[in-house]
Amino acid sequence: MGAYETQGFKLDNSGKRVVVDPICRIEGHLRVEVNLDKDNVIRNAVSTGTMWRGLEVILKGRDPRDAWAFTERICGVCTGTHALTSVRAVEDALAIKIPENANTIRNLMQLNLYVHDHLVHFYHLHALDWVDVVSALKADPKRTSELAQSISNWPLSSPGYFRDLQNRLKKFVESGQLGPFANAYWGNPAYKLPPEANLMAVAHYLEALDFQKEIVKVHTIFGGKNPHPNWLVGGVPCAINVNDTGAVGAINMERLNLVKSIIDRSKEFVEQVYIPDLLAIASFYKGWLYGGGLSSQAVLSYGDIPERANDYSPGNLLLPRGAITGGDLSKVHAVDLKDPEQIQEFVNHSWYKYGDESKGLHPFDGVTEPNYKPEGPKFKGTRTKIENLDESAKYSWIKAPRWRGNAMEVGCLSRMLLGYVQPTQYPFIKETIDGVLKKLDVPVNALFSTLGRTAARGIETLYCADLQVKQFDKLIAAIKAGDTATANVEKWEPSTWPKEARGAGFTEAPRGALGHWIRIKDSKIDNYQCVVPTTWNGSPRDAKNQIGAYEASLMNTPLAKADEPLEILRTLHSFDPCLACSTH
Amino acid sequence: MTETFYDVLRRQGISRRSFLKFCSLTATSLGLGSAYAPKIAHAMETKPRTPVIWLEGLECTCCSESFIRSAHPLTKDVILSMLSLDYHVTLMAAAGHQAEKQLEEIKKKYKGNYILAVEGNPPLNEDGMFCIEGGRPFVEILKETAADAKAVIAWGACASYGCVQAAKPNPTRATPIDKVISGKPIVKVPGCPPIAEVMTGVVTYMLTFDRIPELDRQGRPKMFYGQRIHDKCYRRPHFDAGQFVEQWDDDNARKGYCLYKMGCKGPTTYNACSTVRWNDGVSFPIQSGHGCIGCSEEGFWDKGSFYDRVTDIKQFGIEANADKVGGTAAAAAGAAVAVHAAASALKKAKKSETVTGEN
Amino acid sequence: MNLNAAAASLENDPETAAGKTVYVYEGPVRLWHWINALCILVLAVSGYLIGSPLPSVSGEASANFLMGYIRFAHFAAAYVFAVGFLVRIYWAVAGNHHARQLFMLPVTDMKWWAGLIRELRWYLFLEKQPYKYVGHNPLGHLFMFLFVTVAAILMICTGFALYGEGMGLGSWQDRLFGWVIPLLGGSQATHSWHHLGMWGIVTFVILHVYAAVREDIMSRQTMISTMISGQRTFRE
Ligand code: HEM
Ligand code: HEM
Ligand code: NFV
Ligand code: SF4
Ligand code: SF4
Ligand code: F3S
Ligand SMILES: [Mg+2]
Repeated sequence: MGAYETQGFKLDNSGKRVVVDPICRIEGHLRVEVNLDKDNVIRNAVSTGTMWRGLEVILKGRDPRDAWAFTERICGVCTGTHALTSVRAVEDALAIKIPENANTIRNLMQLNLYVHDHLVHFYHLHALDWVDVVSALKADPKRTSELAQSISNWPLSSPGYFRDLQNRLKKFVESGQLGPFANAYWGNPAYKLPPEANLMAVAHYLEALDFQKEIVKVHTIFGGKNPHPNWLVGGVPCAINVNDTGAVGAINMERLNLVKSIIDRSKEFVEQVYIPDLLAIASFYKGWLYGGGLSSQAVLSYGDIPERANDYSPGNLLLPRGAITGGDLSKVHAVDLKDPEQIQEFVNHSWYKYGDESKGLHPFDGVTEPNYKPEGPKFKGTRTKIENLDESAKYSWIKAPRWRGNAMEVGCLSRMLLGYVQPTQYPFIKETIDGVLKKLDVPVNALFSTLGRTAARGIETLYCADLQVKQFDKLIAAIKAGDTATANVEKWEPSTWPKEARGAGFTEAPRGALGHWIRIKDSKIDNYQCVVPTTWNGSPRDAKNQIGAYEASLMNTPLAKADEPLEILRTLHSFDPCLACSTH
Repeated sequence: MTETFYDVLRRQGISRRSFLKFCSLTATSLGLGSAYAPKIAHAMETKPRTPVIWLEGLECTCCSESFIRSAHPLTKDVILSMLSLDYHVTLMAAAGHQAEKQLEEIKKKYKGNYILAVEGNPPLNEDGMFCIEGGRPFVEILKETAADAKAVIAWGACASYGCVQAAKPNPTRATPIDKVISGKPIVKVPGCPPIAEVMTGVVTYMLTFDRIPELDRQGRPKMFYGQRIHDKCYRRPHFDAGQFVEQWDDDNARKGYCLYKMGCKGPTTYNACSTVRWNDGVSFPIQSGHGCIGCSEEGFWDKGSFYDRVTDIKQFGIEANADKVGGTAAAAAGAAVAVHAAASALKKAKKSETVTGEN
Repeated sequence: MNLNAAAASLENDPETAAGKTVYVYEGPVRLWHWINALCILVLAVSGYLIGSPLPSVSGEASANFLMGYIRFAHFAAAYVFAVGFLVRIYWAVAGNHHARQLFMLPVTDMKWWAGLIRELRWYLFLEKQPYKYVGHNPLGHLFMFLFVTVAAILMICTGFALYGEGMGLGSWQDRLFGWVIPLLGGSQATHSWHHLGMWGIVTFVILHVYAAVREDIMSRQTMISTMISGQRTFRE
């Protein structure tokens, strides 16, 4: 296949082929290959998931009540979201209703994941695409302090603070042992921040590293640990006891106070550190608006955070649900996970086998049968030493999910866009986005970019940090009113289940729309399929050779230096790729 | 010069006096005598940080996530001052060729002197191509990197035992690392994931004492894996008393009774959760109302439902737990006895009938 | 010897002629038998309740120790059971040749096979009469070997390995039996095998007691009284 056009992109794989593998600062194993024209502009992009574990195969025949623990191990970064999706799928199949408090606690845990995951992503997985660590050595601590104080009330901002930090950084660099910062792209012309902003960002990189471990304690309180807290079909495992003897070990006043203090501090950190940093960095990069990819055409979200328990309709979801296609922001399509016409997975370019690969399969009838075959006329290398993949053949462990035939972008930008176009239901999102656009003095279109995605993540974190506080208040109000139920055990015993059942569960994972589809037969799992955010975004081509969101986002981006893939990393990182998730 | 171990200790408020005391204690515990204390002190004050290469195979990255949750020492201090995390795909700034080059350089420069930390495991099916890095099977990179390592740490259930991807039917043939690495000391730090402070505890032990911690039969550090959750569980008095949660969210659950009947695997699980606890000591699974699922035990995925007390025996092929198999056998024996006894009585009656008849 | 010759020699053993009485089980064997039976009763009941505990008791934890007592009963009986087994092994060496029977299966002896077949046919109502034996009949012998000797070893090894987990690394139980746990695939699997062993033994006991009573009535030799007095009397 030579040059062709799809989804408004002109693909041309004739230029110089550049491989980036491994892509670092992501979860899991990802490879990209791009073709550069003579001006070092990307004219073709190929993204490949390079790992597969087979969870869908492993789940067959097991107890549906155990599935959450298996699926939770799909990923330790978005820990918990698969578990929540799984218990929802089982509850859907068996028509189990959960108590109101269980819903609130699940919401708190899910929101907590958002705040943690987004914060860690911004500082530890993404910041170094914008921030030059070595340049921070040249900063004037006093001016750094002035900068920091001009954008936030955060107390750690004295000249002395930044000087100490700079000294520590100096010692570190002079040791010659640069650890995770070794051999990177320092000094690349694509870095735009002045030294002072770099120093401030490095300081917050370290502060965020210290602070992130505090955030997750909400998971620890309700789920016993993080990563990988515990969940329960029918509710949550933690009981509530605020009055009686023996309350230690249950959720009691001391535990609630700890939750409260963590969510308050998290909100403060997001408001006073994350958002000001984001805006400061963005203000230096607002001229670099590449990387929009599919976001201006096709976005999808299942929605999440049900306000009332057991009601998963769009009107009850605090994170928006819907699909936009063809770039028509005026029309939000309804999404139905059980409609066989809507979600389908293709494997034409994926290392799997279907009986008939001309058709996609709805996840209820999904098949996962690996079929590793690197091939094609342009494939270079051997079976175990890949030099170049050929995108005209099979080339990835990721399947290609499509919504009504369209490749979709999922994730924070999709959600924030869907909130933005439904302002009556989501005024906070609309107002915050407008505020940010105004502050940066950029038009709405600027959202459709790498930077837009990164900003959407920050805005969403702010929203979720705020929702956490509200959900907490709801929990307290319920307890005050005497409701302490956290689990419904009516259908705990498999003997109460029908002989056959099927259900779909969804969440909005931090990276986007996540669905699990389960079929239960004779109390065991008969089929289990997951379609995961990074399956959507990292999707390879499909039967019609449409490209996925990663591939689209890299198109037409110029590289400052052909041998330093900084811009590629920047754009890919803006999706927060998770490859363990994508292939599972 | 970079911050040395000594600098770090100083910064954490440890006086020079206690530092020297610590050095002489170290010397004695190594069997070197107090004359060696100044040498140890010198080494700690000047030694370059030990390079650590952290490889990731088939995994979920929650071991890395757990590692960065460490509260004491802080991860920041571990990375900046205690060791040199020279290769770690999830955290490092470089990618692609630059990352590959970094790996090569560290291997060469610190040949025989770096610690290899492995998260996840290599799949062996499809020639290893279920996990590809730089176009090659992960297992190759793992073996090459292990060849020149001083010691190997197996993080988590994945590297130690195979974990979830190795659960039946293990479609990728995911394999614990000790099955593909030979001739190197391997420390297994199981758990899914392991506790953050256990992870940093193991590493700092190795850096501080320059030796591998004492291991148990299964290759785990005794200091953290020497006892079961159940041995130090704070709900143990309820177990001994015979007070159990009988159903989720019942009164007993609210009183914090023992989770044994909910399938708690604390009695069969070696880990430090009930002592060290999780996330800076905030809680651990049992404290938050769910039984232990045995996540630090070999093959815990294939040992029956997490909610069953008497669990499956996989040798029986089909799923069957001891009470089902045994109870059936005993009941069958009882039934057979009843039938046989009736038949025997009949036979005896007939016999005596014929005997009487003959008389 | 072929099977037929073996059968003939069994039928015509002068030692088991009708009316004869032989001293078979010496005092220590009989004493062990009944103590062992009692231990197993206690172990099976307490063991079952360890696996599936009784309904919860109410009141303060400190005021109750039900599970503790059940486990104590188990461990106490376990020690008696294990020591008894060791003494029984000693007696296999010191006692008469019947005392050794429990520990060996004469699988190379044609007479034993002939007897086994006859005994099986007898239980299937295909024979009018069983052979007579001074010691154990081959079928009983086989079962006793598997479900008493082998099973006791399994229960003692797995039991003390599990006990060693509570006593801690380095305890004598751990040093002597700790290897069992990784061998069986971990602590949980060891519990499962130990638990299964119980059912094996319970099944044996059901069959054994039935056989003892039945043979006492229907065979050509005394049974129950033999395990009380040690004397076996033969009938026609
Ligand atoms: C837990 C229960 C029991 C166990 C494990 C058990 C085990 C054994 C063993 C191992 C022997 C062989 C003794 C030797 O050679 O040292 C034996 C013999 C015998 N047992 Fe038991 N026994 C049990 C209960 C009983 C009971 C309740 C009875 C009586 C009703 C009984 C009657 C006999 C008799 C009659 C013999 C002698 C068999 C013969 O002469 O071949 N046993 N038993
Ligand atoms: C006839 C012999 C025995 C029988 C029938 C028996 C039966 C059982 C059963 C059914 C269990 C419960 C297993 C579970 O589901 O977890 C158990 C547990 C146990 N048994 Fe035994 N057992 C026997 C001998 C022994 C011996 C000789 C020892 C040695 C000390 C022993 C020590 C234990 C221990 C330590 C436990 C675990 C207790 C706990 O988890 O709290 N048993 N036994
Ligand atoms: N993609 C993905 Fe996940 C997320 N967010 C899961 O559903 O990261 Ni590990
Ligand atoms: S051991 Fe568990 S926690 Fe660690 S990487 Fe593997 S699946 Fe994740
Ligand atoms: S909750 Fe689990 S670990 Fe704790 S005492 Fe009960 S059974 Fe043991
Ligand atoms: S499930 Fe794992 S985290 Fe600890 S309490 Fe059990 S070992
Ligand atoms: Mg899938």
